[in-house]
Amino acid sequence: MSRLGIFVDRKTLSSAEQLNALIRCRDAAEEMGHGAEFIFPVDIRKIPQVDGLFIRARTDPMNITYVASRMAAFAGIPVIDDPDSIQVCSDKVHMYARLMREGVEVPRTLFLSFRDLTPARAREVFDELGSPLVVKEPSTSFSLRVEKVEAPGELLQVARRYFKLSDWVVVQEYVESTYDWRVGVLRGRFLYACKYIIPSQTFKIQDSVNGHVVYCGVESVPPQMVPPAVIDLGIRAGRAIGNGLYGVDIKEGPAGPCVIEVNDNPSLEGGEDTAYPHVYREIVHTLLEV
Amino acid sequence: MPDGQLLLEPPAPGEAITRLSGPARRHALRAKSGPVLSRGSIHSVERDGVVHLVSENYSYKSEAYYAILMQETQGRRVEPGTKAILDAFVVPVCLERARMDGIPVADYAISQSCIPAPAVIYGLNYFACTSHFEVLCDDESARELVRHVTNNGKYPFCSQRLEAGARIERAVSIFGNVSSTDPAMAGMAAGVWDSFCIPLVEIICIDGPCGLRLSSLCPVRYSRLTPAERDLLSAYLSGQVFL
Ligand SMILES: Nc1ncnc2c1ncn2[C@@H]1O[C@H](COP(=O)(O)OP(=O)(O)O)[C@@H](O)[C@H]1O
Ligand SMILES: [Mg+2]
Repeated sequence: MSRLGIFVDRKTLSSAEQLNALIRCRDAAEEMGHGAEFIFPVDIRKIPQVDGLFIRARTDPMNITYVASRMAAFAGIPVIDDPDSIQVCSDKVHMYARLMREGVEVPRTLFLSFRDLTPARAREVFDELGSPLVVKEPSTSFSLRVEKVEAPGELLQVARRYFKLSDWVVVQEYVESTYDWRVGVLRGRFLYACKYIIPSQTFKIQDSVNGHVVYCGVESVPPQMVPPAVIDLGIRAGRAIGNGLYGVDIKEGPAGPCVIEVNDNPSLEGGEDTAYPHVYREIVHTLLEV
Repeated sequence: MPDGQLLLEPPAPGEAITRLSGPARRHALRAKSGPVLSRGSIHSVERDGVVHLVSENYSYKSEAYYAILMQETQGRRVEPGTKAILDAFVVPVCLERARMDGIPVADYAISQSCIPAPAVIYGLNYFACTSHFEVLCDDESARELVRHVTNNGKYPFCSQRLEAGARIERAVSIFGNVSSTDPAMAGMAAGVWDSFCIPLVEIICIDGPCGLRLSSLCPVRYSRLTPAERDLLSAYLSGQVFL
C-alpha cells in the first residue's frame, strides 16, 4: 500500500463540483488498495511522507502550489503537476515558445514587449496576423485576460493594461470556432477527450457578459468519435511540454487543427471524464505504481 | 496548417542592452567609464560560452526573465536560468534549494494564521516580493502585520523565528562578492552564487546564536548600490574584472 497526497487549497474546497471530484479521486486510490490524504498549504512539511502528490489547486510559479510541487521534486516524490510543467504551462509565452520550437501547430503567434509596442508596431502586427487578433496576458486562466481586438488602437489599449502584470504579452491570429476540443494526455498518452462548447454570447469558453458569468457546456466524447488528427495533435502537444497530465485545447481552424493552449492541472470536475471512467485510476497508477 | 513564429525582438535603438563579447569586450576593457546602469537596463557578460545576464529585476514575466527564457528556448547557455530565478524568489523553495546545496538556512514554517513574535514573515502569493518582508516584534502588532501579508487570511505566508538577540543582516552580492568584511557573509554570498548564479542579488540573513543563516534573496535596484558596489559591477560589465 502506498500513500497518495492530494494537495488542495481553500478555493478547491469551496466548490461542490471540486469536492465531488476530490472524493472520486480518493475513492479510486482506496479501491486500488492505497491510502489517500488531503494536504493543505500549512502541511507542506508532510509532503516527503507521501509516495505521490496530486495537486488540485490553481497552479502558478508564484503561489503555494509551486512550493508544494518543488518540495515533492526535492524529495524525489512523483508529482502532478511537476515544477517544470507548472512553469511552462502557467506562462503563455513559455508555452507557445515551447510548442513552436517542437513543431506543434499553433495559431500564428507573436510576443510583444512593452519596450517595443509602438503604434507603428501595432499596425505591423495587424499586417502580419490579420484582423481580428487575440491578445493574452501570459498568466491568464479561465479566459480572464484574453481579449479580441480589431484595430491597432484597441491592441495598444488592451496591451497597456496587461503590461501592468507582465513585460510581454501574446498576440495571436484569431481562429473561429463554436467549440474547443480538450484532449487529456497523461505521460505522453491519450487519456480522455471532451468538447467545451463556447457560449453564444462570447468567443471564450468562460466570460462575463453584462455582469453575469457564462460558462461553457462540457460534453465528454468517446475516443472513436474524436478526429484522429485532434488526438494526434493533443498527444504531440502534451509530449512537447513534459511527462505529466495535460489538458490540450484544440480548435479545428480552416488550415487544420491547432493548439490553443496546453493546461497543466486540467479540470476534471465538469464532467470531462464521463465517457472515461478510469481517468483517476490511471492518474493514481502513474503516481504510485510506475 | 497555421504555424507559429518565434519572434525575437532585437533591443530597441538606444537601449542599454549591452552584450559584451569578442571585440566589444576588448574595446570595453580600454574604456574609462563602464556601461550606464540606467533604470531597467539589462546587461550581459559572456564567459566560457555562458552568457550572464545582469538585471535589477529578474522577476517572473519581467523583461530579463523573458530575455533569459528566449536564450534557453534556443538552447543557449545562460545564467541565471529561469528555474533558478523562480526558486530564488519564492522563500521556502529558495531555502530548500540552498539547504540542499549546503548553505545554512533559517528554520521556517508555512502558516495561514497568526504566529508568535518575534519572527520574520514573507507573503506567499502572486504579488509578494521577497524585498517586502515584515519583522514581527511583539504579539500585539503581529496580528495586524499577518493580516496585511496574508491579505486578510487569504494567502499563506512563510515565517522564520527570531531567537533572542538575533538580528537581520543584509548584503548586496555582485557575482558572488559582497563588500562586507564579515567572512560568514562572504561565505554565504559565495554559496548563494554557486547555487543560484544570480549576478546581482541582495542576501537577507538572520544572524543569531547558530551563526549566519539565509532568510531570503531579493532583487536589487541599481539606484540603491553604493559607489563601491556600482564600481565593482561596472568593472565586471566592462570586462575589467573576470568571472
Ligand atoms: N487564437 C484564438 N482564436 C480564437 N479564440 C481563441 C484564441 N485563443 C483563445 N481563444 C478563446 O479564448 C479562450 C481562452 O483562451 P486561452 O488561451 O485558453 O486562455 P486561458 O488560459 O485564460 O483559458 C479559449 O478557450 C478560446 O475559446
Ligand atoms: Mg484555456
